[in-house]
Amino acid sequence: MAMRCKRCRGPVVIEVRRHNAAFCRDCFLHYAGQQVTRAIAKHHMLAPEDRILVAVSGGKDSLALWDILLGLGYQTDGLYLSLGIGAYSERSKQFCESFAAERGARLLVHDLAAEQGYTIPQAAAQAAKAGTAGRSSCGVCGLSKRYIFNKAALDGGYDVVATGHNLDDEAAVLFGNTLRWDTEAMARQYPVLEATRPGLVKKVKPLYRLAERETAAYCVLKGIDYVIEECPLVAGNTQMRHKETLNQMEEASPGTKHNFLFGYLDKAAELLRHAEGAELAECSRCGMVTQAPNDPVEAPICAFCRTRARLVERLAEGGARPLPIAEVRAG
Amino acid sequence: MLVTARLRPPDRTVEVADVERVADLLAKLEVLPTTVLVIRDGDLLTSQDRLRDGDSVEVRFAISGGG
Repeated sequence: MAMRCKRCRGPVVIEVRRHNAAFCRDCFLHYAGQQVTRAIAKHHMLAPEDRILVAVSGGKDSLALWDILLGLGYQTDGLYLSLGIGAYSERSKQFCESFAAERGARLLVHDLAAEQGYTIPQAAAQAAKAGTAGRSSCGVCGLSKRYIFNKAALDGGYDVVATGHNLDDEAAVLFGNTLRWDTEAMARQYPVLEATRPGLVKKVKPLYRLAERETAAYCVLKGIDYVIEECPLVAGNTQMRHKETLNQMEEASPGTKHNFLFGYLDKAAELLRHAEGAELAECSRCGMVTQAPNDPVEAPICAFCRTRARLVERLAEGGARPLPIAEVRAG
Repeated sequence: MLVTARLRPPDRTVEVADVERVADLLAKLEVLPTTVLVIRDGDLLTSQDRLRDGDSVEVRFAISGGG
């Protein structure tokens, strides 16, 4: 018997196995919007008067998020950070610019090389030299994004930074943190992080209830063009390996990822957040908020300033030639 | 019965014989159905949709490693 839409009984275009459901186009778009609305309401993510900065990469998640927030009537601008990954970064930026232009929305563009003096391929070159001792290029990328999104939001007077992290991203990060029992990192993993002190902007993840296959389907059904190719530096990274493992489990038992993440958020996250409350301080170099050093005599320096200084110093020595993309992938 | 499948990313095209439904195609390609979208002429297909001889479909992976 042919599948029917769970909501209207019409012909279906997508199955959502973890909900034992299938939807037609319009009901799927309704479902996606409803999941975001529920996330926002449950965690008090956004208020109607908030000025929201949506971090966009040109990928399916962030553009779907921006589209949904615009559709819900929120005041949003986009922020694209160019990471200097050759043609991939250029194409990604073009998707963001086209999206914004088609909707008359405002897009801010920041450039890592111009503003901070390094690119992510240069960080990859450093990581390859350092072996396991240094921060990976994906680690530097994530650190740079978090820092610059927060700073850009502060400088622009935004109330909230919204990112496109989806259910799969969050489940994979939780999986990795759990395997290492990294309770500090687990304590920071939540759909909303409040601005608990000056220098911090509130961060929200309104897509955490949607799987990434669903955000991709949303883009296809809404005619949103996004960068389909994968970042050339990401092949084989830890998060991808964790996603592959979780997807095997999901195939055998639909709902595994949902139950893993939502069970954590409902039952354990609050306990860890209270147990792992880190002491914060102002970075002595840039003034942004960072974790206070264990030694009270030591001047606090944030992870971004430390990483940036190391990269820029080695670049000045001529030791961080950006690896050609193929070389990076092979490594 | 022959179906042309364009898989991406990374971009590659393969021909697959003797597949009646999308689920059969994905099984032959050894692709997990919950990790991809299957698209024909701009329309999403479900695992139970029938394929036709000469069909060209896109099998688009929806998994990304950023974050």
